[in-house]
Amino acid sequence: MDWPRIILHIDMNAFFASVEQQSNPELRGKPIAVIGAAKRTVITTCSYEARAFGVKTGMNSWEARQKCPHLIFVVGNNRKYTYTSTQIINIMREYTPLVQVFSIDEAFLDVTGCLSLFGSAERISHLIKARIKEQMGLTCSIGIAPNKLLAKLASDMQKPDGLTIIAPQDVAKVLERVPIGDLCGIGKKMQQHLSRFGIKTCGELGRFPVDVLKRNFGITGEQLHYMGQGIDNTPVIPDEEAEEVKSVGHSTTLEKDITERREILMYLLQLSEMVGRRARKYKVAGKTVTLTVRYQDFTTFSKQESRESFINNSEEIYQAAVKILDSIELTQAIRLLGVKISNLRSHTEQLPLFPAERKKALLANAMDDVNNKFGDFAVTFGSLLGRDSGSKVISPAWRPEGLRNVDVD
Amino acid sequence: MQRLAERIKVAAVFAPGCQIKPVWFEWRRQKHAITEMSYFWKDCCGDATRLHFAVSDGNNLFELMFNASDQNWTLEGVEER
Repeated sequence: MDWPRIILHIDMNAFFASVEQQSNPELRGKPIAVIGAAKRTVITTCSYEARAFGVKTGMNSWEARQKCPHLIFVVGNNRKYTYTSTQIINIMREYTPLVQVFSIDEAFLDVTGCLSLFGSAERISHLIKARIKEQMGLTCSIGIAPNKLLAKLASDMQKPDGLTIIAPQDVAKVLERVPIGDLCGIGKKMQQHLSRFGIKTCGELGRFPVDVLKRNFGITGEQLHYMGQGIDNTPVIPDEEAEEVKSVGHSTTLEKDITERREILMYLLQLSEMVGRRARKYKVAGKTVTLTVRYQDFTTFSKQESRESFINNSEEIYQAAVKILDSIELTQAIRLLGVKISNLRSHTEQLPLFPAERKKALLANAMDDVNNKFGDFAVTFGSLLGRDSGSKVISPAWRPEGLRNVDVD
Repeated sequence: MQRLAERIKVAAVFAPGCQIKPVWFEWRRQKHAITEMSYFWKDCCGDATRLHFAVSDGNNLFELMFNASDQNWTLEGVEER
């Protein structure tokens, strides 16, 4: 059977942990867990040796130590990971321009048009694997299939260092017994909904009357029907063709849960400066400011407010965030705070007419100039001096270039 | 890894193709010959590009950093075995 498209999904194996094991040869072959730099010790990822003991991403260190008493904790180095990821993506781009970065350790490649240059998709996969192994010492799992949905499913089938092909003629046979939860896009809640209809496998989902699915899930119902049959026509969209970014935001899980207003305001100022700086760097301004709060019991909510004018000045973003905060009655200690501007438009610098506004803009420009030369937070607000700065978590939206290329500490 | 951030003297080979290979460094009046470079990465601090090297002298693991802007080498950290 002909392949209409040939899609590769490349998934780096235990990415952060593998980078650490390469950096420090003493860690190779040992159970390690990468934790954030903050005092909270939630596991970001762990090595396959640790997984064998039941250690999982998201566990806290105490729980992980129970599972694996000789587990080694390593504080992550996000800049090492973003650099490595960028290098890996550059390798992929040598084989096809159609590379869609899915997250820091995953990407889709459309190699349909590149076979005459490099041979088969299997050969391209082996070449990419060999290059990554040689340059960084890392392994990845690759899935080859006629679409993104199946390529992702295939890459998950053999880990670590796997290469799995789902050919068009094998799709129905492969999907028959695959649990629906293995498909990208079907989460725990959807699994529960579908299990009410007796649907547990992709085979069952594909055969289930589409009308019933549509009646219960709307447009998603039709999508689910196609997913069950392994049909996915979404293209591989390289970053330069991706939709415009709709918001600029930063959030941070605090070192400890806080209740004091003074502390909350400091974090809001820090986040507003990060948002404003990135917005100014990429010359965008937003009309809507959103504040996100997560309580200690993980209850999370956001509240937003639209303004009359577009802003990217850190202080104005901060003032807007504080105004939103003042409209909320906090009922618990705060675990996470986030600030975001959305409703974006490109913003070309125009100095304000009135002296006070003009001063503010000139001050922001001067601060940006210094920070561009000496690094973020080299010059900052007095109340932020001596505080840790920067983002501690690599967002799933991270990309190697453009507005989504968030600097991470 | 114990973070240090100490300025140090390093001997390095600058090979064609933007490859820099640290060969030895002095730290606390002792010369450490580099036996293995296990990892390399780059980042930026402002407009300065910084090159990071995870190296071993056969005993301990070190992180060296070369700031391409001011041409200084820093011992960022050590992991004693």
